[in-house]
Amino acid sequence: MASGTTIRMWRRTLFLLVVMIGLGFGWILFNLVRLQLVEGEELRSMALDQSLQTTSLSAQRGTIYDCNGNVLAESASVWTVALEPAYIKDDDTRRTLAKGLADILDMDEEDIYALTKKDTYFTYVKRKVETSVRDEINEFLEENKIDRGVQLIEDYKRYYPYGDFLSQTLGFTGTDSQGLSGLETQYNDELSGTAGRLVTAKNAAGTDMPFEYEQKIEAQDGNNLVLTIDSNVQSILEEGLKQGIIDNDVQEGAVAVLMNVKTGAILGLAVEGSFDPNDPFTLMDEEVQKEIDALPEDEQDKAYNNALQKQWRNKAVSDTYYPGSVFKMCTGSMALEEGVVTEETRFTCTGSTTVAGETLHCWTSGHGEETFVQGLCNSCNPYFMWIGEQLGALTFFKYFDAFGFTEKTGIDLPGEGTTLYHGADMGPVELATESFGQNFSITPIHMITACAAVANGGYLVQPHLVDHIEDSDGNIVSTTDTSYRRQVISEDTSRRMVDILHTNATSGTAKNGYIAGYRICGKTGTSQKILEDNIDTSKKHYIASYCGFAPADDPEYALLIFFDEPEGDSYYGGSVAGPVFANCMSQILPYLGVEPVYTEEELSRLDTTVENVVGEGTDTAKTKLDQEGFTVIIKGDGDKVLAQSPAGGEKIPKQGTVVLYTTKESQEETVTVPDLTGLSFSQANERATNAGVQICMTGAITGNGVSQSQSIEAGEKVKQGTVITVNFVEADAVM
Amino acid sequence: MRSVSQRQQRAAPRRAASGALAPEVGKVKRRVRKKFKLFSARGGVDRPLFYLILVLLVIGLIMLFSASYAYSYYYFDNSYHFITPQALFAVFGLVLMGLISLFDYHHLHKFAFPLFFITLGLLVAVKVLAGTSIAPILNGANRWLYIGPVNFQPSEVAKFALVLIFAHLISINYHKMGTFRYGVLPYLIILLMIAGLILVENHVSATLIILAIAAVMLFIGGVKLRWFGVAGGLAGVGILYLVLYSDKFSYALDRIKGWWYPFNPPEGVDTWQTQQSLMAIGSGQALGLGLGQSRQKYLYLPEPQNDFIFAIVCEELGFVGALVIILLFALLIWRGIVVSLNANDKFGTMLGIGITAQVGIQVILNIMVVTNSIPNTGISLPFFSYGGTSLVILLCEMGVLLSISRSSSLDKT
Repeated sequence: MASGTTIRMWRRTLFLLVVMIGLGFGWILFNLVRLQLVEGEELRSMALDQSLQTTSLSAQRGTIYDCNGNVLAESASVWTVALEPAYIKDDDTRRTLAKGLADILDMDEEDIYALTKKDTYFTYVKRKVETSVRDEINEFLEENKIDRGVQLIEDYKRYYPYGDFLSQTLGFTGTDSQGLSGLETQYNDELSGTAGRLVTAKNAAGTDMPFEYEQKIEAQDGNNLVLTIDSNVQSILEEGLKQGIIDNDVQEGAVAVLMNVKTGAILGLAVEGSFDPNDPFTLMDEEVQKEIDALPEDEQDKAYNNALQKQWRNKAVSDTYYPGSVFKMCTGSMALEEGVVTEETRFTCTGSTTVAGETLHCWTSGHGEETFVQGLCNSCNPYFMWIGEQLGALTFFKYFDAFGFTEKTGIDLPGEGTTLYHGADMGPVELATESFGQNFSITPIHMITACAAVANGGYLVQPHLVDHIEDSDGNIVSTTDTSYRRQVISEDTSRRMVDILHTNATSGTAKNGYIAGYRICGKTGTSQKILEDNIDTSKKHYIASYCGFAPADDPEYALLIFFDEPEGDSYYGGSVAGPVFANCMSQILPYLGVEPVYTEEELSRLDTTVENVVGEGTDTAKTKLDQEGFTVIIKGDGDKVLAQSPAGGEKIPKQGTVVLYTTKESQEETVTVPDLTGLSFSQANERATNAGVQICMTGAITGNGVSQSQSIEAGEKVKQGTVITVNFVEADAVM
Repeated sequence: MRSVSQRQQRAAPRRAASGALAPEVGKVKRRVRKKFKLFSARGGVDRPLFYLILVLLVIGLIMLFSASYAYSYYYFDNSYHFITPQALFAVFGLVLMGLISLFDYHHLHKFAFPLFFITLGLLVAVKVLAGTSIAPILNGANRWLYIGPVNFQPSEVAKFALVLIFAHLISINYHKMGTFRYGVLPYLIILLMIAGLILVENHVSATLIILAIAAVMLFIGGVKLRWFGVAGGLAGVGILYLVLYSDKFSYALDRIKGWWYPFNPPEGVDTWQTQQSLMAIGSGQALGLGLGQSRQKYLYLPEPQNDFIFAIVCEELGFVGALVIILLFALLIWRGIVVSLNANDKFGTMLGIGITAQVGIQVILNIMVVTNSIPNTGISLPFFSYGGTSLVILLCEMGVLLSISRSSSLDKT
């Protein structure tokens, strides 16, 4: 021990040391462990949060394609113009900037000047300007040597190249590219992608750090949707509906849905009364806009909003209706499945049935004694009321439920309507009326799904619109597999119903949907509309529909046509919707590659394809066509065929006429198209032949069909031999 | 051995000429000669202490550079704004430290009272000249004196003056430390004068440090324990008085709430600095973000080069780095105490204890503030925090400690 210290000093020093080290350093270490090792992660993220400034980078919204790869909706670059006022140092620059931007963006100079003076690092000036405008701004900035203070951020705008095509189904997007209706809403998460981020480290003063820390997380572009929709099918349906609306003076729009009965894939979903998703807030129907303009000012907003909702509404999915007699295909399936009837079971229709004291009428004065097949082909209400009674409410409801009418179909569209029905405890009147399709309401998509089950062997398929989803590089992300929810009826029952419905479309009430060779099965429906509060009660409101499928030997495609409030000559499903069904299917089925198979009777009337003989020697050509059974007319005296009518590849009736033109002058000869409507098949044919044209027929060509429309208007000048498609309708007895 | 005898021979004529004082002078001269041997067993400095000082100084400078880099770039457009003067002061301080270590600390006896009065004069001057260019008021307090190119806080000088005068008095009155007259009264008077003047500067943290240093020295110096009891009692009564009668109590309570919940402080209590410090420390986690990689120094943590530099150390070097630096400080304290307790007289012991206590107390309180272990108050971290004069004073004190180690009985080989 050194001379200067005492034991007391040592002791007291040691004591202090222990206290200092023990308490002081101990407490410090405890806190360091807590802060760094326990709470470190949390504190670090707090520190990061405050120092990293994030700028969002828009992701490009995915494209929507139809099944053939046609673009239905896509996003293209636009730009957001923003200011960074904190970086604009002097007033001269502010003035220049305000004037320049005001000119380019067509805005008020003073407004922009006020923005440049804001005490902030970021403020929006204008959104969604086109790339050309951005280039102008860049040029202006360069000219005036302004290198800081204006930001141009990439954004996207949605384009729908076909305008009002498939609009309710596609939907549209809002300012932030978020889906606001239709598939755009349903698949918003898939389509929108993940916004990227530009993370810049900022010091506490908000300026970039002198030592740049910048991290760019690229935006992940949205996935693309490839729909089951086929644009060609869709256009045929949209055209068909438009024509149908004109022909039948339809008031409240129309729906057509084409479904692959085996997969549930929807190839076409047309809703008439549509809008342009590029400009969804403009009313498509100018008449409606005029009506609204005529209203008192305070009612305009409401009326406008209602009109918008109406034009955006997807009737096929959101609107419910009484399916009417179309539903008899379901009741019939139940009856066969349960064995309460066979094809030959007889029942006598007296024109009405009294159920629990209430008299329910058939649509005619009575069909007399009829078999089940005849009952369906006559669309006889008493027969089906009787079936309902035989089944009993419990069994009826079991199948009603199994066909999917008590739940949503789960189609991949938003806003699916809720069905209304009576439960298993329904009374006899409800049972009787429901048996022929009244008194309960479902959506068109429900009906066609049930129809598909009747057609495909009894399986309730999942209706869907998206075939697969692919990422922005085209790699498949997910595929919609065909899924059956359940089997409703047996394959045997399905087979028997298909035959009955085929009979119906060939010779029953559904024969307006008949197309030669395509073995159409169908059922018509005419239903009274569900009465809403604001409906005009002075007249009856009907929905005319036709639901059918083809080909009968192996059903592939089902089509439902639905007209809301036809006010033309007829409101019956058979006469209003049937011809449109036939018209659409006659184009769609060949397009989709369904091979025609003709009966002997059909063969005799069959149309055939004419060979192209242009360029061949006149004599050779004549011989060739003669051999095929055509009548050959030669115009002019040339050695070679310069043109022919109908052209090579066109359909003409068997034993039809082919005109060959051998000189230039002869090619200018024309004939005038006669009026071919309102005639029987033979009358029409005769008139056409006299005029030098030929006809192809669709629709009800057996029995008492009357021609209703023609593909080329009367009075037009055409080449001799031109083929005109004439649609026949059986005017009487088409329920 | 031959050289020693040669030197002795050369010294001999002078000894004879000095007459009566000759033997005393010779003793001093011999001691001076020995002092030139840096690490010899007798007369050299304590090697561990010397190295610890150097290591801490170097690490401190590196960390100061890193911590102040962004701050000085932003505010002074020059990343070297703080590190350049600090490094120059460090070199200057090291030279002074070396010279002082050669200087026999016993001469300091003579400086005890003069330095004390100079300190009082400086402290009074700060108050009297408040608001002038010599003692400007900065951030609501005037603690600084600007004399020519030098600016410093008299409170820094006061700490050493207190250590010196206490060591002086304790060493000459050691055997009377049990009495009130010699063991309590003089210290009380000195303490009241110095601490009182610093408190008047509104410099609470320095007052607390002065009181703590005094307590440590008196405790080890042998003051009867009951006087600590009395002091503790008086402090308790004072606090009670504040609690009951002062209108500042609710403010103090808010401060304590702010300390306890730094991320959710009561209204009116600004805990920004503490929040930023805790985020910095937490960001470091176990291994740190790496030297120079602090994010919090980018103007988030206010004045990262000063009192809160340790937070940046924790952020960049992590728990491991912080632990190493704490360990270095602990070793320095340990070595300072070992040197002091082995000094060859009580003056050396008390002087060494006082200096070591000052460093130890500042280190512990600073890190406690930075880690929010105690409420926020301004205490700098020795060797790390920016402040040229303060660093020079610290290194001078280290010189004194090294000087004490030269005469100690420690084995230095």
